[in-house]
Amino acid sequence: MQGVGKTYGPIRALQGIDLTVPAGRVTCVLGDNGAGKSTLIKIMSGLHAHTEGTFQVHGETLVFDSPRQALERGIATVYQDLAVVPLMEVWRNFFLGAELRHRSYPLAGLRIREMRRIADEELRKMGIAVQDINQPIGTLSGGQRQCVAIARAVYFGARVLILDEPTAALGVKQSGVVLKYTAAARDAGLGVVFITHNPHHAHLVGDHFIVLKRGRTELDSPRSEITLEDLTQQMAGGDELAALAHELRPSGTPTAPASEGTTE
Amino acid sequence: MLRTGIALLATVGLVASLAACSEGGRVKEPEREAGTAGDNSGYTIAMVTHETPGDSFWDIVRAGAEQAAQNAGIELKYSNDPDAGKQATLIQNAVDSKVDGIATTLVTPEALAGPVKSAADAGIPIVGLNAGIEDYQRLGADMYFGSDETRAGEAAGERLASEGAQHPLCVIHQAGSVSLEARCAGVAKGVPATENLQVNGADDAAVTATLQAKLAQDPSIDYIVSLGAPIAADAIKAKDASGSSAKLVTFDLNQEAAQAIQDGEIEFSIDQQPYMQGFMAITSLYLAVKNGNDLGGGEAVLTGPSFVDSENIEQILPFVQNGTR
Amino acid sequence: MTSTQEDLVSSTPGLDGYLSRRLFARPEIGATAAAVVILIFFLLAAPAFRSGDSFLTVLYQSSTIGIVAIGVGLLMIGGEFDLSAGVIVTTAGLANSMFCWWFGIDLWVGALLSLALCLLIGFVNGYLVMRTGIPSFLITLGTFFVLQGANLGITKAVTGSVTSPDISQMDGYGRLGNVFSSSFEIGGVTVWGTVIWWLAFAALAVWVLQRTRTGNWVFAVGGGQDSARAVGVPVVRTKIGLFMTVSFLGWFVGMHTLYRFNTLQAGNGVGNEFLYIIAAVVGGTLLTGGYGNVIGVAIGAFIFGMTSLGIVYAGWDPNWFKAFLGVMLLLAVLVNLYVKSLADSSRRGLL
Repeated sequence: MQGVGKTYGPIRALQGIDLTVPAGRVTCVLGDNGAGKSTLIKIMSGLHAHTEGTFQVHGETLVFDSPRQALERGIATVYQDLAVVPLMEVWRNFFLGAELRHRSYPLAGLRIREMRRIADEELRKMGIAVQDINQPIGTLSGGQRQCVAIARAVYFGARVLILDEPTAALGVKQSGVVLKYTAAARDAGLGVVFITHNPHHAHLVGDHFIVLKRGRTELDSPRSEITLEDLTQQMAGGDELAALAHELRPSGTPTAPASEGTTE
Repeated sequence: MLRTGIALLATVGLVASLAACSEGGRVKEPEREAGTAGDNSGYTIAMVTHETPGDSFWDIVRAGAEQAAQNAGIELKYSNDPDAGKQATLIQNAVDSKVDGIATTLVTPEALAGPVKSAADAGIPIVGLNAGIEDYQRLGADMYFGSDETRAGEAAGERLASEGAQHPLCVIHQAGSVSLEARCAGVAKGVPATENLQVNGADDAAVTATLQAKLAQDPSIDYIVSLGAPIAADAIKAKDASGSSAKLVTFDLNQEAAQAIQDGEIEFSIDQQPYMQGFMAITSLYLAVKNGNDLGGGEAVLTGPSFVDSENIEQILPFVQNGTR
Repeated sequence: MTSTQEDLVSSTPGLDGYLSRRLFARPEIGATAAAVVILIFFLLAAPAFRSGDSFLTVLYQSSTIGIVAIGVGLLMIGGEFDLSAGVIVTTAGLANSMFCWWFGIDLWVGALLSLALCLLIGFVNGYLVMRTGIPSFLITLGTFFVLQGANLGITKAVTGSVTSPDISQMDGYGRLGNVFSSSFEIGGVTVWGTVIWWLAFAALAVWVLQRTRTGNWVFAVGGGQDSARAVGVPVVRTKIGLFMTVSFLGWFVGMHTLYRFNTLQAGNGVGNEFLYIIAAVVGGTLLTGGYGNVIGVAIGAFIFGMTSLGIVYAGWDPNWFKAFLGVMLLLAVLVNLYVKSLADSSRRGLL
């Protein structure tokens, strides 16, 4: 992805973003609210087409105009709040959009037993213990739902997995679970794009970090060249934070805004 | 290429033959005569009714009114609304636009009293039709053309009694309608054992099923009294389906009902002659404006009940088919 | 609650506990119990109800509501409403009869043209809803009024009255009558073809909804449209397909009404859209979409048929008809709710 940008009418939401997603690595995209993270996800997952720059998948230059196209090229996206359909069974969610059928004619029967078995096996393989594969996925916890969505992407041969704020709405323990499966996906050889505004979570799993600010790249650095403190500083606005720290000094020392704003 | 051509020709031929061979379609009738328009009197008369859109009864009332307007060279302004408040507004509109006369139904007398009075105050002659026989004089209308629902019901009841009816079923197809209730009450005066049944008149299948159920529940029903011509058609289906031997009578007429009378499936119809209601209302207004006439000293003129049965159906059927009865 | 259950929902007990409680019961269980209660009630209260003929009359009444209700139920599972479903039945019949009458062509051609028209109306409904994002409640309310007005206006313009012409003398009447409004005798009782069609359509819909990819997509677009889109479900296509299913079934019932009664009143059909929705809701379909099944919807229509005719079979004062109907429907919904909670707790006991 080179010099990619997006304008919505007169509004420039994103410009000049360079991003490479290598297999078996976790690339973290960080940014505050309104930094352009959502726009970036939408371009990569095919919800919106980009308006400038080039977007290549395995050397092929593309402009997506539907999520299906992105999925066909192995790019799967797990959204923070719409990863699954809560009222549907776990196995139906697992195979949603890629159902196994007996024949290919319209209204052909589904291979239900097989799908149940595969969903169960795959979840176990990822180490997710679901009590009953037939229970509605809404009865699972938020973390478990994210994990099922990740397991689904892995099973369907996704080569790039985009995680949109997977830990934002979760508690500490559940976030840990999700991070574990993010790492599992990476170990399975996927290129992971981990989008978050929590530098602590990012630093736990990330191999490469990109910080967005007002639609531009603020920082682009591999893990070896950056510390958690730097990352936190960048996220919080760097110099602005220093200035703020100066102002606030009499009443205390500045702290990283690790737990602020869990929604976007 | 050749095959496509043959297929195309075959298709065209098929469509053409289909288009040519069907029976029972529209008979291309000669254009109706433009009426015997006398002088162009230049009068404007407003007609306001409580017609619910989609009731074939009002087609006939309107046909009569239009013929009368054409005869006398009158410009007829027709408007309708089943809602009493809105009908009142329509009458007031007619008063405000200073028409030469107003013909209106008075099914909800109290709601219409205001505008009718303002018409009378403005010196516009006003005629009631179809409904409001009890109230038209009090409201200030000059004349009335219509039937008396209770009396029509009584006439039906008397005739049923004379034919030996024991247990008629009176089918009300519109919940809470005063005139339908009055008809059934009239029938019950003739035959006290009359029972009422409520059906959903907007759904033929529901009417049929409900009647079928009722006939099964109470085999002693020997006459079905339908209060509208379309309901009579459903009643015939229900009778056939349930194997009931009950006889059928109906209020009002339409083509199917007239045909059924001729075929002996309906014993008789109590016709209130809607064409006459429309025609007479407009004509009497014309005469009142033009010549100061009033009919029968302002007493109500009854357009019904007129019985249509096997005796006179031959004569009446053509008029029904023509949409004037 | 068993301990395993607690583990499952421990993370966010409020919402998940509620969801699981509601979801463990199958959608049609409550409706089935309500249907049985109402059936027994009328068997006891109405002697005339206890015959094969009466039962089939009830089934006939249920089928004329139930056929369209299947489509409406599927559409509601898919998260949308269709208020034009009642008048489209009349539109279908009017289009067929008037087109054939005016041009003097075979009724088969008219039936197919009418089908095309209905599918087009369904498509327009779906397309407008998906394209504009305006709630389907409003879009189809608009279609409802347009069709209601067009039914009256066009009929009046074509035939000069508000009744459609009699089709019984036209070509193709006999064969089409056999398709849409035939009846036959079994063991001395009359069975209407619509009852068979109703069961056939219901069986097909059960298959589609539970056992095919399309059915999976219907649940998905109703339960989480955005999630469904994100995993590649063709949301627009699925929903437009659902609207067209409703209008197809409306066409079918319109054909039945036309070929059984030969003429149609142009103002008919208004109000039935709510009966379809009621049947679906009584049958356990969630008003907000994503949950329900076709068996439930069929039972909902059966409850409506039993209640509306049971009152007549019982010979009660007809003026109370609507009140009885309302009470029966409320009872159905309450029994529905109660049985669901029972089913839920017994299921929990097992876990």
